[in-house]
Amino acid sequence: MGALFVAPAAAYIGIFHLFPVVYGLYLSFTRYSPLDRGGPQLIGIDNYVDLLSDADFHKSVRVTVQFVAEVLPFAVAIALGLALLANRSMRGIGLFRAGLFLPRIVPLAAVSLIWLWLYSPDGWFNHLLGQVGLDPRNWLLDEGTALHAVAGMRVWKALGGNMVLFLAGLQAIPRTLYEAATVDGANSWQRFRYVTLPGLRPVTTYIVILNIVYLAQSFAEIFILTGGGPLRSTTTTNFLIYEEAFQNNRFGSASAMAFVLFALIFAFSFMILRRMGSNR
Amino acid sequence: MPEFEAANDAELDVTFVPWEDVSTRLNTGFAGGTAPDVFGHGPAAAAGLAESDRLEPLDGFIELLEPSDLEDLAAFLVGGQVNGSQYMVPLGGEGRLIAYRKDLFADAGLDPDDPPSTWNDAYDAAVELTSGDTAGLILQTGEIQRVQSFMGLLGSEGGQLLSDDGAEVTWNSDAGVRALEYFVRLHQGDPAVSDLLGADFANQPAAQNPLATGSAAMVMVTSGQAVQIARARPELTDQIALIQPMSSAEAEMFGGPGPGLFMNKDSGNKELAWAFMEFMLSADVSESYAQVTGQIPVRASAKDGDYVADEPLIASFIEAGPNFVGSPNVPAWVEVRNVIDQHLERALHAEVSPREALDDAAAEAGPLLSGE
Repeated sequence: MGALFVAPAAAYIGIFHLFPVVYGLYLSFTRYSPLDRGGPQLIGIDNYVDLLSDADFHKSVRVTVQFVAEVLPFAVAIALGLALLANRSMRGIGLFRAGLFLPRIVPLAAVSLIWLWLYSPDGWFNHLLGQVGLDPRNWLLDEGTALHAVAGMRVWKALGGNMVLFLAGLQAIPRTLYEAATVDGANSWQRFRYVTLPGLRPVTTYIVILNIVYLAQSFAEIFILTGGGPLRSTTTTNFLIYEEAFQNNRFGSASAMAFVLFALIFAFSFMILRRMGSNR
Repeated sequence: MPEFEAANDAELDVTFVPWEDVSTRLNTGFAGGTAPDVFGHGPAAAAGLAESDRLEPLDGFIELLEPSDLEDLAAFLVGGQVNGSQYMVPLGGEGRLIAYRKDLFADAGLDPDDPPSTWNDAYDAAVELTSGDTAGLILQTGEIQRVQSFMGLLGSEGGQLLSDDGAEVTWNSDAGVRALEYFVRLHQGDPAVSDLLGADFANQPAAQNPLATGSAAMVMVTSGQAVQIARARPELTDQIALIQPMSSAEAEMFGGPGPGLFMNKDSGNKELAWAFMEFMLSADVSESYAQVTGQIPVRASAKDGDYVADEPLIASFIEAGPNFVGSPNVPAWVEVRNVIDQHLERALHAEVSPREALDDAAAEAGPLLSGE
């Protein structure tokens, strides 16, 4: 009887989660175009071997790492600062929290389209530059600024969600710890350093790993804002996978890239988890 | 659609897909056996889909058209052929021309009624027109669009992308290098006369086109863009004019048949599918389609119709028709085009010389053309 209750959920997970992963792994050992009537043809580990000498793939991994490195520290540190502000009890704090959380509930594609205009030659950022007497910039068309511009948007988008998690973490720290620290003569910085930060360690670890997983798979914002350009300076690995699969019709090679990306994300997340989780 | 459904006692299930998603949706449809009976796509996809045995040849259906209809459609039908077989029926024509702002010409001391007729003259005029807020001449440099701009320049230099049999690369000829040197000079020359390198004007609201905003004096536009700009900024109608294809050795621009209709080889409704395609090619419907999209009418007789009379800019595109050169119909064209695109971008950003970019693109595309 128990198995019957579990069956629908198990079927859902099996069909919509496990099967695509296993099929994707199988495809990574094949040559396959969806246009071919013959279906996938097994070619062993050729797709993985080809990735070793694929300059576009190597560059995409570097771009992905740089993108994560640019977004993550700001998305975590600023969210923590906002959570500390939002944790105070004051008039209108609910509105303040809601305002900060708003970007989180707007779809990434919609946010990207709005920022596409903000970054456009006639957009808001160039208007601001003009107000202070500076020349306009081609934010998304210049190799030197495109990735930073996308990262800036992504930091803004990530703040709301991270802030709410930090806020929950802050409210879970027992008040008695702060009272004891105050009795011991700790000032506000010492209470933050020796009570708040250690108390937030589990939620910080969760936020860092969650952000790495999301950011390393960035696609929609790249697709809408830059299309991977200029000069592939914003082509993340996930975007390259899309190009390989749906523009070049090489599903086997794209699947191999996807599993290498998965391995990199898994290894990096595991390393972070070990480091942050064990440093007690 | 209601008119067709009523006339044929049929029910159509139409799905509208953004242009950038067409290939993705179609390919997954083919893989899953759910591709539509009739679908719209660009002529660049024809050879690849035909080689993959996904397209129904339309020769048998085309033969059933009235001779007068065949003659009326002849100019664009040929662009839907692969190795002599008809696989696509174009719904309209497309082309690129240089549009310019007469008021900006006058402001710069140039004669607005005597625009440049050669690419070198255009550069010289662009130098005069370039100022702090205005670029002199902008060709299309967005993804893929830069290949189409290059094809026009290449044709003007008397070159072509591939050999006549489509088997060998010829874009890295001396003509190709001259064409790309010119293209690069617009952005990296002394003085540079162009701006917004990499911008995608094709998917931008017409009112934001640099020609409409006045941030450029001469801009490469499609017929659709020209019409949409005029509709978005009616006060500029008298200030915008088009230049017939400019020449170096010859006068050519990128153009030819636009997106059209294909029939799925696995369709179970081929007769009805053809009836729909024939309906879309009929005189009234095809003219109305061109009017909505701003395309060149697919029928030659439409040049005397209301649409062309109401949109004088379209008449210039029809006049330029014989000077348009389209994409090569080879199976690997989409991949080859992506390769050229990447290397053109490197040259336009002055990362490599034009010669090096074209040679690198040739080395990379060679195996694709030979089917490897």
